[in-house]
Amino acid sequence: MLSIENVSKAFGGVQALNNVSLAVAPGSVQGILGENGAGKTTLMNILFGLIRPDRGQIRLNGQAVVVRSPRVAQRLGIGMVHQHFKLSPALSVTDNLALAVGRNFVLLHRAAFRDRIAALARSLHWAVDPDSVVGQLNVGQQQRVEIIKALLGGGKILILDEPTAVLTPQEVDELIPAVRSLARTGITVIFISHKLSEVNRMCDRIAVLRRGELVFAGPMGELSAEDIAQRMLGAPSALSSLGASSASPGLVRLHLSRVCCTLPGTRKYKPLLNNIELSVRAGEIVGIAGVEGNGQTTLIDVIMGSLPISSGVITLDGSDLSHLANFRRARQFACIPEDRQGQGLVLSLSLTANLMLRSYRNPEFTRLGLRHVTAWRAQATKLVRSFDIRCAGVEVPIQFLSGGNQQKALIARELYGNPPVILAINPTRGLDIGATAFVLQQLTAARQRGAAVLLIHSDLDELLAISDRVMVMYAGQLLPTKWPVVDRAAIGRMMMGITPQAA
Amino acid sequence: MNIIGESLGTFLARQTVQAATPLIMAGLGELLAEVTGVINIGIEGLMLMGCIAGYAAAGISGSGGVGLGAAILVGMGTAAVFAGVTVWAAADQIVAGAAVNILAVGASGLAWFFYQNAREAAHRSVSLGRHVGFQSEAIPGLSRIPFFGPMLFDQYMLFYAAIILAVLIWLLLHHTRTGAILRALGDAPEACQAAGISVRTWRTGAVLFAGACAGAAGAYLSIMRTHAFASDMTGGQGFVVLSLVIFGRWTIPGLIAGCLLFGGINSLQQTLQTTRYTSHSTLMHALQYIPFEFFQMLPYVVALLALATLSRSSPGPRYLGQAWRQ
Repeated sequence: MLSIENVSKAFGGVQALNNVSLAVAPGSVQGILGENGAGKTTLMNILFGLIRPDRGQIRLNGQAVVVRSPRVAQRLGIGMVHQHFKLSPALSVTDNLALAVGRNFVLLHRAAFRDRIAALARSLHWAVDPDSVVGQLNVGQQQRVEIIKALLGGGKILILDEPTAVLTPQEVDELIPAVRSLARTGITVIFISHKLSEVNRMCDRIAVLRRGELVFAGPMGELSAEDIAQRMLGAPSALSSLGASSASPGLVRLHLSRVCCTLPGTRKYKPLLNNIELSVRAGEIVGIAGVEGNGQTTLIDVIMGSLPISSGVITLDGSDLSHLANFRRARQFACIPEDRQGQGLVLSLSLTANLMLRSYRNPEFTRLGLRHVTAWRAQATKLVRSFDIRCAGVEVPIQFLSGGNQQKALIARELYGNPPVILAINPTRGLDIGATAFVLQQLTAARQRGAAVLLIHSDLDELLAISDRVMVMYAGQLLPTKWPVVDRAAIGRMMMGITPQAA
Repeated sequence: MNIIGESLGTFLARQTVQAATPLIMAGLGELLAEVTGVINIGIEGLMLMGCIAGYAAAGISGSGGVGLGAAILVGMGTAAVFAGVTVWAAADQIVAGAAVNILAVGASGLAWFFYQNAREAAHRSVSLGRHVGFQSEAIPGLSRIPFFGPMLFDQYMLFYAAIILAVLIWLLLHHTRTGAILRALGDAPEACQAAGISVRTWRTGAVLFAGACAGAAGAYLSIMRTHAFASDMTGGQGFVVLSLVIFGRWTIPGLIAGCLLFGGINSLQQTLQTTRYTSHSTLMHALQYIPFEFFQMLPYVVALLALATLSRSSPGPRYLGQAWRQ
């Protein structure tokens, strides 16, 4: 029995957790729901010894414990699987686990380790090959290696920090019974999520956090999904209010014809993009679903000119783009890249500078060839207000904004001035429900204004909610679907490469 | 033809291994450091420090063993400075490595100057005594095997040490938990940290080990294969080691193969330089008209070509050259 008693924690002036108490029974799956910033991660970091609480205590089987560090947590049998895996891709599963939970330095006892891993995997009915190299496993399998690592280290209480954020729908479907089988062996699982549907399928009990306070704790099923969402958000969900457009799309803006891309110098590998046929018309959102790593990033790269195409034609409004260098293409498209911190924003620059990165050359923002400081500030203030970016001031370096507000800033910059063509890849990754709805609304609003939107997204629900047409990317190929005539499951199967013709 | 009673082939094979020995020794250390994510382009400087330290210590003490020990200690000491700057203060490894090279040129020259002065003031010879320093050591029996005997079993003791070390490091890297940790340090330091392993401490250990190896390789040049010191006597061999680690794709067999290839071409060019004046064949005679610098250049041209063709598909450790800040 794990119990958290009256735990409070403040960061600066912000009360991250306020008097939270929660008891978790052994062998149960406890869901912790809440928006980003609700305090889920803080609570788990306290359990795992990364943060010390200001007040309150933790009891394990009735005994008060002080979790001073992750080491202490591990000794107490508390294991945590982080969103970003702590695995070495170059090493085998066995070596990774030996590295993490082994004791001696000279002998590896590889055979003994392999047997322990195999036995544990078998008892959970998981297919994990101890000899495979971690870098060659898919994300779902790597996650299992992480879970096995926590268990081999003696973990009895397992914290899963948003484990589904990195998984495909099919991998989520596989994770759920896997976690259930863990619980049957007596392991306590604490499952953190902001996705209601997953918690619903996985957990025995749920706790809902909102702004640092526990607003509900009880068995799953006591509250309806709408009630839970309402408690999480304090307002009804916005996803349902979005929808496909009724307006008929206009002319073709972006067109890709028989586009292939092969990585230079690697002719022996299969092409990254294989015969891509794609057109995006004004006033429509074309959604591309797919498991990550099937060529989605490459597709954006070839459109933006970061990667050369080996054959085919890319046209914008009928004119060939191939002669344009990528910095010239950047002016033709608004692009919301996958990696907002690496590609989309300059973290050390101020919010203002980041907001001006696209439009700083406009005459209205320059004076004598230099930046027009007051015009910049006015523009930044305007965007902050209209996109509801929460910040301590427009001159604050953007790295100090939360992920959701960084994304809002990125979108404010890219969508300013009504760009005719918008490319977006996973634009809501890591965002909470409120910010997700905001981003999706901005995309649908852009469509209403007549923009052509290419949306590449790994969250199928969101993709299907706002796309007019949906295609599936699999192994570098683009497969058309008859959405909305076919169902979600059929698209899910296509994403896994099963029966692509059936949809 | 015969040189000192050996066939040319046997002679070349023995010379090849002799030339490859310091490269293998320094390469093993550099390989281990690079596997953990630290690239030290100051290896040339570390070797040079080993040259002078080994020579001076052997000269003063009259013992080759003391010289080798001093070279190893000075190599580690210089590497400790590099580790402090890059691993702990997170400075750029390439810049710091270049600084080590420049520092070593100055420091070794200065040490050489003081050593000469001190010896002369004490009315002692600057050059090493007849029996100070190492001689090649033939292993009884094995060294009599035709061709392979002189090549592998009539070498300096550092060659035997390097081969034993190579086997031990290979076993360590691939069959122990320490090896898993070392490889993970360059591939996913965050995984090491999560396992409670101090990334910086371990990387420092690897850098110090590389310093010891480079120091020993330097001593080989000044008190084993030759018994002399000259300023800048490493002549770019440290940089060759860097390229051979890449050439061998961070594997020990690959590294050794590269060292033997380079050592072979180097021996061949040296032999060509001398035999072209003594041989009676027309081809050898014609070679006289080629400046000797051309032959000296050959091994480096081959190294460049090999790098250009082979290193493409091998990215190396993911965190190579990146500081770990935590």
